[in-house]
Amino acid sequence: MHFLAPSLLLGLLAAILPWLIHLIGKRRAQPMRFAAMQLLLRSERRISARRRLREILLLVARTGVAAALPLIFARPFAERTTDLPVASLDPQSAVIVLDDSASMSRTAGLSSMFERARDRARALVRQFPSDVDLALLLASAGSSPKISELSPERTRVLEAFENIVCSARPADFASALRSASLILAGSVHSKRRIYLFTDLQAAGWEAGTGLPAEGAPEVIIDDVSGAAPWENRAVLDVDVLPAPEAGAGGIAVDAELADFSVAGTRSLGVGLKVDGVAVAKGFVDLAPGERGHKRFLHRLSGEAGGAHDVEVEIDRDAFRLDDHRLAHVELARSMSVLIVNGDPRTARNEDEPFFFATALRNGLPGAAVTIKLADDVSPESLKGTTLVALLNLAQPSPAMASALARFVSAGGGLFISVGDRVDATVWNERMAKLLPQPLGLPRTASALPGQHAGEIVDDRPAERLAPIDRSHPLLASFPEHGEGLVSARFFKYMLLDPAPESPERSVILRYENGAPALVEKQVGKGRVMLLSTTVDREWTDLPIRTGFLPLVREAARRLVGVTGDEETASLRAGEARILAFTGDEQRLEVSRPDGSVWVARREQASAARSVLYSETDRLGTYHVRAVGPDGTVVARPEQDFVVNLDTRESNPARLDPALRPDRIAVASPGAKPPKHRVELWHSLAAVMIGLLLCESVLTLRRRRV
Amino acid sequence: MSEGATGSREPPQPGLLDPTDLARLASLELRARTIVEGAFSGIHRNLHPGTSVEFTEHREYAPGDEIRRIDWKAVGRADRYYVKRFEDETEMHTFLVLDASASMGYRRRGISKLDYAGYLASALAYLVGQQGDATGLLLFDEKVRSFLPPSTRPGQIREVFRLLETAQPAGRTDAALALGHLGELTDKRSLIILMSDLLDSEPDEPGGEARGALPARLRQLRARGHDVALFHLLDPDEVELPFDDLIFFEGMEPGDARTLLAQAPDLAQAFQRESQAFRDRWRAACLEASVEYRFARTDAPPAEVLRAFLADRQRAVRH
Repeated sequence: MHFLAPSLLLGLLAAILPWLIHLIGKRRAQPMRFAAMQLLLRSERRISARRRLREILLLVARTGVAAALPLIFARPFAERTTDLPVASLDPQSAVIVLDDSASMSRTAGLSSMFERARDRARALVRQFPSDVDLALLLASAGSSPKISELSPERTRVLEAFENIVCSARPADFASALRSASLILAGSVHSKRRIYLFTDLQAAGWEAGTGLPAEGAPEVIIDDVSGAAPWENRAVLDVDVLPAPEAGAGGIAVDAELADFSVAGTRSLGVGLKVDGVAVAKGFVDLAPGERGHKRFLHRLSGEAGGAHDVEVEIDRDAFRLDDHRLAHVELARSMSVLIVNGDPRTARNEDEPFFFATALRNGLPGAAVTIKLADDVSPESLKGTTLVALLNLAQPSPAMASALARFVSAGGGLFISVGDRVDATVWNERMAKLLPQPLGLPRTASALPGQHAGEIVDDRPAERLAPIDRSHPLLASFPEHGEGLVSARFFKYMLLDPAPESPERSVILRYENGAPALVEKQVGKGRVMLLSTTVDREWTDLPIRTGFLPLVREAARRLVGVTGDEETASLRAGEARILAFTGDEQRLEVSRPDGSVWVARREQASAARSVLYSETDRLGTYHVRAVGPDGTVVARPEQDFVVNLDTRESNPARLDPALRPDRIAVASPGAKPPKHRVELWHSLAAVMIGLLLCESVLTLRRRRV
Repeated sequence: MSEGATGSREPPQPGLLDPTDLARLASLELRARTIVEGAFSGIHRNLHPGTSVEFTEHREYAPGDEIRRIDWKAVGRADRYYVKRFEDETEMHTFLVLDASASMGYRRRGISKLDYAGYLASALAYLVGQQGDATGLLLFDEKVRSFLPPSTRPGQIREVFRLLETAQPAGRTDAALALGHLGELTDKRSLIILMSDLLDSEPDEPGGEARGALPARLRQLRARGHDVALFHLLDPDEVELPFDDLIFFEGMEPGDARTLLAQAPDLAQAFQRESQAFRDRWRAACLEASVEYRFARTDAPPAEVLRAFLADRQRAVRH
């Protein structure tokens, strides 16, 4: 034990004061002649052992208190060897950056990398001298800072550690180190340091270090993995596709697997679970670093519709988060589609129903599709039908128009596409109640569109679609920039006459010139959608674009109000999801995999009636439900989504030493291990308080006796 | 025989002077009258109710009984010795037996136990004299210090008062010796009233019973037909030990070398329990010997103690 102010130890002489007081007190006892000595001596015999013990304890407690005070003022400390950064012993401003990314959840021995990192960071905070200013950040993408301003309150930092848990998000060191640099820019200390506790996985450093080119703070990395090799196997992707060959409700589950080991993996167990029940199991061999696939065929039960959780899992290893991967599948209610062919052709690939029906059958395998010529359709044909598609129909008969109006009002879906045969005047007259906007004149594009990279140039003038608005539920599952849709060219389309603004009507897609391409309208309980071009290749190449199938599938689902056999939106941990309000819904609730519920109110929604949900830090299925104005709760399965791991976190590759932002200190051989100072006055103060309490209790008991 | 206790914890009844106020009165006679008048309002003042010359009962013969009192007819019938009991043809004798040892002089506040015993004794002597009965007095320490035989002569009460007023606490205690002496001096059935603190009158065994010479002597007196009452007098300090400091205790009686240095508050609770046990032992011993036991603290009004004593005696006769 050492002392900062050893001269104050002279105060230890005060420890003899209680003994002196005791002796003096004995001498100043009052003499008294007392008659009942017999009773007195008997009483004394009864309690003498207890009394003596209490007196000794009292004396010890008082001596301890008298000795503790000068000891505390002498500032005692001990020196201990440490494997924590020695730089922490200097006066400085420091930002602790704790890697809470998914890979840190892997176990090594009895604890996880994250627990090890958190314990070491906590020990470092305790090791800092009391005049160090501290802040605390997390390294996972999208995480909020724990303590974002420098503060000397060490207790606050230690308390903040208690609430940190390892997330499933990927790491983003550039962002974390950039934030740490900004925090340290306002430091009053000349020494500014960032202490990063991580496993030094290469993932997360793709964007560089994030440090400023000049005046960057010193970075000290504590590699909690100890550079130990990490062999990992992972499920990188799960793709669920309709598999009609497996029968009704058949699905094919394709799992992409990866091996990140030196020796490869033989007989890796791969299992398929549906709704938590194991339904299939197989084995694969993977060469070192190889990626492989495992395909399962399975028939989902519940032809009347329902949601299913599909999960592929492999034999467990140290990193469990990537040993399984989820997909959420909605099995459609039976959908019956009647396609009315208004322009029959002999060549099949020139026929409009060919493209539309193919997209439907592949996008919604459970759907029953019937194609009829216009003359064969009667109002009775609509019985049992959930969706009617009128493709390039010249004119609907008055009886058909009336029947369609009743059909839509009762909840049916109506899809209309135009073409050369459409008589706009008759349509506007007979279908006025149903058309989202009155039909106008056909228009032919007059200029060449901009060229996309790698695109074969078509010499015909064409229009393209404007950037899509993903806040619309129909487009929510499309990629951010609308790939597969915006590349489509429209050589000809029908202009739509202006219609008054109405909450029942909305434009889903527009051409670049602003003209509506796809418009919808709510009619009664049903919905009508109007595409202002053809669904064959006569006016556009949309049917051969990759976006056509999902567009038809989503349109059909929206028109019928059901979902199809299709994988629900899958996000990577940390990604955001747009959730849309429909109708007069007042609240959207998201049930997270950990059971907690996130709530968004209508007032928080943007003009597009959507909210951004970004708390995707847990892997699993997130269920969405809506609450109406009368408090009724309705499930919104079409907005459900699953959150899976960002597969970059599965790769155990370590950061190239050349890219490390720290200067690696090399210890000189034979050098003594560094020591850090542990102040002991806190413990002594605690002991003194304990002794004071003992003294108080003993004194109180004596008074009560 | 009845037993009772009178303490100062409850406020004295109105009209009853406490010992400190009584001490302010000029003479013992005046104090005695004050006590008696305070105590006997509404109570029949005959200390010996039911006196007559008629045969009352048989009782078994005990050593010390006069041979002439044996009822030979009853012996013939029962093959046991029985003595005829008559109500006395003369006045009843009352012996006041006071412990005047050094321990009776303990006083920190108020009056000493000996003074308190003097007040009670003088009141009883005054009362007995008023009834025309004979009163005697015996003062003792480790030996009989003064003995005044019972008499109804004029001036007897005044002599009792004088002896009580001049008594000083001194010497060690031997109550058994005094009672033995008294037994030898009287063969007439008497009322014997012993007043003592009883300290050091039992073997020094923790938790032991009140055994030894004094209880045996009490039983002997009762067996000989005497009516015996014991006034157990203690100072409040000897009940509560209400001290706050470190105290060096020393014994009071000559030759008592016992000392104790102690924090009095540490001892108080154990002492109170011990004091209570001490009184309980004597109460049990008196019950066993058919001796009336009365405990009194020296801060209790003597008139109240006397009233309780007389009331119990009247109640006992009625039943």
